[in-house]
Amino acid sequence: MIQIKDLHKSYKMGKNSLHVLKGINFNVEEGELVAIMGSSGSGKSTLLNILGMLDSSDTGEYILDNVPIKNLNETKAARYRNKFLGFVFQSFNLINYKSAAENVALPLYYQKVPRKERQEKALKYLEQVGLKEWASHLPSELSGGQKQRVAIARALAAEPKVLLADEPTGALDSKTSYEVMDLIQKINDQGNTILIVTHEPDIADMCKRIVHLKDGVIIEDKKIEQVRAEQYV
Amino acid sequence: MFDRDIWQEIYHSISNNKLRTFLTGFSVGWGIFILVMLLASVNGMQNGFTMQFSDDATNSIFVRTGTTSMAYGGFEAGRRIQLTNDDIEYIKRSFPNDIEYISPRVYQSTSARYRSETGSYNIQAVYPDHQAIEKTIVNKGRYINTNDLLNASKVAVIGRKVEEDLFKGEDAIGKFVEFNGLPFRVIGTFTDDGDDNAERGIYAPTSTFQKMYGQTDHIDQISLTYNPTYDLTKALEFSERLESVFKRRFKIAPQDQAGLRIFNYAEVFEDISNFTGGLDIAVIIVGLLILLSGIVGIGNIMVFIIKERTKEIGVRKALGAEPWSIIKLVLFESVFITALSGFIGLGIATALLAAVGPNIQSGAFANPSVSMSIVVTATIILVVAGVLAGLIPAMKAAKVKPIVALSDK
Repeated sequence: MIQIKDLHKSYKMGKNSLHVLKGINFNVEEGELVAIMGSSGSGKSTLLNILGMLDSSDTGEYILDNVPIKNLNETKAARYRNKFLGFVFQSFNLINYKSAAENVALPLYYQKVPRKERQEKALKYLEQVGLKEWASHLPSELSGGQKQRVAIARALAAEPKVLLADEPTGALDSKTSYEVMDLIQKINDQGNTILIVTHEPDIADMCKRIVHLKDGVIIEDKKIEQVRAEQYV
Repeated sequence: MFDRDIWQEIYHSISNNKLRTFLTGFSVGWGIFILVMLLASVNGMQNGFTMQFSDDATNSIFVRTGTTSMAYGGFEAGRRIQLTNDDIEYIKRSFPNDIEYISPRVYQSTSARYRSETGSYNIQAVYPDHQAIEKTIVNKGRYINTNDLLNASKVAVIGRKVEEDLFKGEDAIGKFVEFNGLPFRVIGTFTDDGDDNAERGIYAPTSTFQKMYGQTDHIDQISLTYNPTYDLTKALEFSERLESVFKRRFKIAPQDQAGLRIFNYAEVFEDISNFTGGLDIAVIIVGLLILLSGIVGIGNIMVFIIKERTKEIGVRKALGAEPWSIIKLVLFESVFITALSGFIGLGIATALLAAVGPNIQSGAFANPSVSMSIVVTATIILVVAGVLAGLIPAMKAAKVKPIVALSDK
């Protein structure tokens, strides 16, 4: 699903250049649930940005679902993001004046799906995250866990190839975190490919594979026995 | 393009910032209001001028003669030029397509008497065509007709004031009034929109006066109206032609201004329309400058809104919003605020003018109003203004990196 070869990225900070990613190589197969771990400054966020086409690499190859991702202009990047990727953010990033259903329908709007179909799909995904009866509520009327579940529904609505989650439980208490992880595991069970950036070991343990970054290189890449979140809920 | 989602976005953005939207919208509405009012004022001035002159037919030309000031064609300077009946016939023959009405004027001052009432008045001896040239309104009886002219009848059409002064409330029609001792029958009375003075005048047939005073065919002035389909250029061109033909006919030096004077109302109108045209441009510039401050205000608020919504725009981009869809969002909002507030200003201005305008009738200022073309132009200006106001903020928004949506830790 994802092939990355010898990825480099450096940022210019005045006269100095900061080498953030120093040759990353890794592949993700379809249906994997991967945790990317590392302390701050390890390059994990930069890697996620590049995976999410929010930033571009200096050198190296990035192939997503057999499509080489390079030389993207804004419009093309937007289309690819819309088609291939679903994002889940730490701070949910729901649009505060739109109802839950409208938020979920937003990526479909950018796919130019007709209004009615958008609404149906939005309800379907809200149901999947267990929030169908909250469809008409504004984000301000939802709890943190509910907001993140709406955000997950929104990421799923576009039916992306890969779900990218950036610290999805970072703003949640541990009980709610496990609920969200339970949901993510169930979505993964259905065959969806998911990448999670986290620095919490218990969250990483709930994935099937942990990639450990330090100072811009992968220092550890191991498959693990998945801890099911269900038991903590 | 105009789907419900866009309207929803605009609605949310506006309802979240009601006061700010109102204040900036107000500046645009105010700009358009002033622009329309200024244009209407110029229009009112134009109307006023036109009214002042429309007492006479606006397509009239007057030919007067005087004494030559230059030697020319073998004649010395100081020769008196005299117009005659032949000149009328000559014009009719030479310019059959250019003229509409033509009449000579013979001026005569007279003391008039009816029973014991007397007064002194000016008589103009004219042709029947003169009624149309001077736009004389006959309110009783009739005007001079061709028969009166052929028979050199002693008939007169008297002004309303003359009737008032001499007849003291009696109906003058059919009565005889003495002009310099000779009896004339009153065949009609007239009123004049122009002024009371004109209503102190008296009209009589030219032939009557020419016979009474010395059997001449002399006339003092020729008034005529040119083909009403002529525009300004054609009208001026015609009076130039007329002038050169007459100067040749009377052997007057082409540059001699004293021997022959041709006064064309078109010249006055040309001056007026030049003047109001210039004023129009000045007004439009002032109005646009006022509007500009409104546009800058809206641009300002839009930049602010974008700043506030940077994160949201980043999220939208991460979800797959193309730059164009973001630009569209900002532009529509800006055009909407501009157009809406502009229309309110336009509506208030138009309503005010419709209510007050027709009541304003003073001298050189009458019925200020706006034409449809101004309204249409203002609308186009508003939409363009909205686009301009939104353009820079929209580009700014389109440049927002989706990465900002992630960098929130």
